[in-house]
Amino acid sequence: MSSAVKSDTPAGAPRTSAAATAACNPDSDESLLVAVGNHQDRAAFNLLFTRFSNRIYAMGMKLTRNEQLSHDLVQEAMLTVWQKAPLYDLDRGTAQSWIFTLTRNRCFDILRKMKRQPATVSADDIWPQEGDGDSQLVHEEEGTMEVEVSKIESFYGGLPAAQRAVIEQIYIHDRTHEEAAAVLDIPLGTLKSRLRLGVGKLRQMVGTE
Amino acid sequence: MTSEAKFHPTAEQLGGFARGTLTAGMDVVISAHVELCADCRSRIGSLEAEAAAEMLQAVPETRPVNKDFSSMIDSIVNHAQTQADEQTSDPVTEIHMLEHSVRLPKVLAKVASEGLVWKKLAGGINQASVTLDDQTQCEFLYMKPGSQVPVHKHQGSEVTLVLDGSFSDESGHYKQSDFVVRTANDMHQPASEEGCLCFAVLDSPLTFTKGLARLLNPLIRYRFRRATAAASH
Repeated sequence: MSSAVKSDTPAGAPRTSAAATAACNPDSDESLLVAVGNHQDRAAFNLLFTRFSNRIYAMGMKLTRNEQLSHDLVQEAMLTVWQKAPLYDLDRGTAQSWIFTLTRNRCFDILRKMKRQPATVSADDIWPQEGDGDSQLVHEEEGTMEVEVSKIESFYGGLPAAQRAVIEQIYIHDRTHEEAAAVLDIPLGTLKSRLRLGVGKLRQMVGTE
Repeated sequence: MTSEAKFHPTAEQLGGFARGTLTAGMDVVISAHVELCADCRSRIGSLEAEAAAEMLQAVPETRPVNKDFSSMIDSIVNHAQTQADEQTSDPVTEIHMLEHSVRLPKVLAKVASEGLVWKKLAGGINQASVTLDDQTQCEFLYMKPGSQVPVHKHQGSEVTLVLDGSFSDESGHYKQSDFVVRTANDMHQPASEEGCLCFAVLDSPLTFTKGLARLLNPLIRYRFRRATAAASH
């Protein structure tokens, strides 16, 4: 579908900030979405737009049976893709799934507005958002134990490797979120959610928060 | 507030929730259950992937549905992007029923945040109706300890999510986060020994709500308080 752009760098090659756009694999929707999220890559967004706009329009026709609403849905869904791309998280699934959930949510809101139904709830209240599960975890266990700093290191070993890698980049190597995402070659959104999860678990284990 | 539910939405209901093809009332009650139930939460991801494959399948190039949307791109990429740091956590919300308070799932906290008007029904039941769409009747139900809902029959189907306490009927005992589905043919008489707060969604009204019991109901307002997230830290 998209032979127009070819990548010189093999997929999965180490990515630095400068070379990030060049390393983007145009055949992978996930890779394009990460380029849009981490570097506001317009060429990558153009490709995603070309791939998804007609499919979103078709989904709109299935759900609304209305051409104007389906047209509005393409605009609103792709705008949300652009705006929320920095929050895209590999842990939440494929680019197609992620774009679907954004489109479903915009469609819900567009239909309610059109039918003049009460604005009591919006789609974002109904479908769990990125990060919700994490804050839940942190809320659940609240303790008043004394914190022993030496304990943190032993707890740290008990974290899942992916979360440990992120915490190491930020707290031990003192990198910025953007630098750490580039070093680990993951989307910024993924880095931030892993960091939040990992720190949340550490706090839970030492009984602060 | 996560607890282990024994009763869950049907596969069809969860699938419809993931696809976005249900009524708002049904979406809300399923969303509240999903927040309370780790099992169902873990299923949503794969159901969304299935729905994505079904709803966003590639459109053949020759189909007349193909349109040129390219003029939209420039207006879109001039918008600022959201940064992960900008996301703020929602306020924790509690509902106060008589002596104790109940922490609500986020979506129900939002539903309740505009204020609930409680009506007293027969049998020690209090009801606060909310309007979410034009196809369902939704309500918070509070059963006082020792109360019993008058025997009723459903014209359509009824979903009841237990938020606090418990209730029983002929078919079982239901606790926090249980999602109880009753269809048109079921006749039942729920009762609660310890008291129970529920959220119920009906796709058509119960027969008794139209009867004499409704005339006996004075309006009662319960206070509703919203605690901010800041207070919990």
